[in-house]
Amino acid sequence: MRPALDRYRPPTPTAVLRGIPGRFTSRLHDERVASWLGIALGVSVLVSFGTGLVSHFMQQPAGWMLWPSRPVNLYRVTQGVHVIGGLATVPLLLAKLWTVYPRLWQWPPVRSLVHGAQRLLVFVLVGAALFQFVTGVLNVAYWYAFRFYFTTAHYWTAYILVGALVIHIADQWAKARRTVMTRPQDGVGRRGFLLTVAGASGVVALTTVGEAVTPLAPLAVLAPRRPGTGPQDVPVNKSAAATGVTAQARDPRWRLTVTGRVAREVTLSLADLRALPQHTARLPISCVEGWSVEASWRGVRLRDVLRLAGVDDDAQVRVESLERQGLYRTSQVAPPHWHDPLTLLALGMNGAPLALDHGYPCRLIAPNRPGVMQTKWVQGLVVS
Amino acid sequence: MNAGTASKAAAYAAGLALIAVGLRGIVDQVPLAQWAKWFVGAAVLHDAVLVPAVLAAGALTGLVPAGRRIVRAALVIGACVTVVALPVVLGYGRRADEPSRLPLPYGRNLGIVLGVIAAAAACALVVRAVTARRRAGGASGRGGATRAPRHSRKEARR
Repeated sequence: MRPALDRYRPPTPTAVLRGIPGRFTSRLHDERVASWLGIALGVSVLVSFGTGLVSHFMQQPAGWMLWPSRPVNLYRVTQGVHVIGGLATVPLLLAKLWTVYPRLWQWPPVRSLVHGAQRLLVFVLVGAALFQFVTGVLNVAYWYAFRFYFTTAHYWTAYILVGALVIHIADQWAKARRTVMTRPQDGVGRRGFLLTVAGASGVVALTTVGEAVTPLAPLAVLAPRRPGTGPQDVPVNKSAAATGVTAQARDPRWRLTVTGRVAREVTLSLADLRALPQHTARLPISCVEGWSVEASWRGVRLRDVLRLAGVDDDAQVRVESLERQGLYRTSQVAPPHWHDPLTLLALGMNGAPLALDHGYPCRLIAPNRPGVMQTKWVQGLVVS
Repeated sequence: MNAGTASKAAAYAAGLALIAVGLRGIVDQVPLAQWAKWFVGAAVLHDAVLVPAVLAAGALTGLVPAGRRIVRAALVIGACVTVVALPVVLGYGRRADEPSRLPLPYGRNLGIVLGVIAAAAACALVVRAVTARRRAGGASGRGGATRAPRHSRKEARR
């Protein structure tokens, strides 16, 4: 008789792989859980896409686009939803992927050409979703671990994500609808799991939302920014020291010039600006990174300065900073914004002269506009 | 072609067009190899490291004798918060000349948040134990089964 050891045949790799799907014993790896999480995630991704497009096209408007200057807080809300909502979506995404994880190991991996194409599209969906959330979370923490420019990569990958999502919705719509509409009779504790995921999203939102909703600032213990922290109680994205404008900004020979398509070129000293009618506006700094803080700004209306130079009503204005380089050295101000009486060349904020880091001697502040376009250390207005 | 097929075809066409737009933008404006590294890398790390770790943690919590769902809920919430907070806790984005950037002691703050979650879970466990004792050894195990009946070996081999 042969020893028993000889009869033992180790399982082939294929047999091991085939056995994997059966080893996921939790009943939460389930169509109904996946459907509910998928619906929430789909809504969240589409909201992020919409608010992301708002931010992109406010900064780089297509030729036919004319953004209104009101409501004052529109960008503050859309970008706050984009960033805080995006952070709070991370638990949803992780839970959804965990729920459907056994399907990664389905056997055979590819049944047909169509099945293979569908799985490839699911990979595109998962890869794009993880890419967007990983780069987004790193970017708001200023951790540039990747060797590409964040905004460009995040912007284009968004189209890939939404394209794959549209296809995924078309594929899963009927199944998800059926599953969600039928009351299950199997006693699986889905509600507890879904509430846990919602709780995780809630804790993430609660500990960060104060960077955009100032009354909740004390709760923003995990937010990259804290309203009230920074010169004159407002955070600063780029300091004078980091941009290298300190000496020029402090130079008493500083002048503001208005040039380009104007009736007469104008050069104004800080004293000249102070002699013009002064106005106060309460406006937020709304950063693309999601944080926002309202402040009380005091200065000259941009339209008053432009009228001194005699510009046409349809003029486009380029505001130029003392900064010598950087993508945000200049910004465009379209007619709706420069006509708005709230748009100021601010000389002071929160009851004091403008701090150097906030753009002394003079900065642009306008309603409904991303923070990177509120140009600081302004030295020139070029009209076209 | 019925309405369902037509709308599905339209969705595929729209979806593929969007993917093509995105890919074209990436190819034109983003270093492709670097982008692909993060695109594929994120998916691979998620599927090969993160989920197996979560599954292992799930299996380990299976050893918890009572209040397993509370323990798991606390771990899920705590882990999610940690994942999102990790970049600010590590603080690689800090710069000496930008003092209002990442101004808080995030390691300590994360500790406090995790402590609050743990305390809430502990309270829930106590409440659960007290109510269980009140029921004085009555009927055990109400609903909420989250485990499938074990596959027989025969079934698994199929």
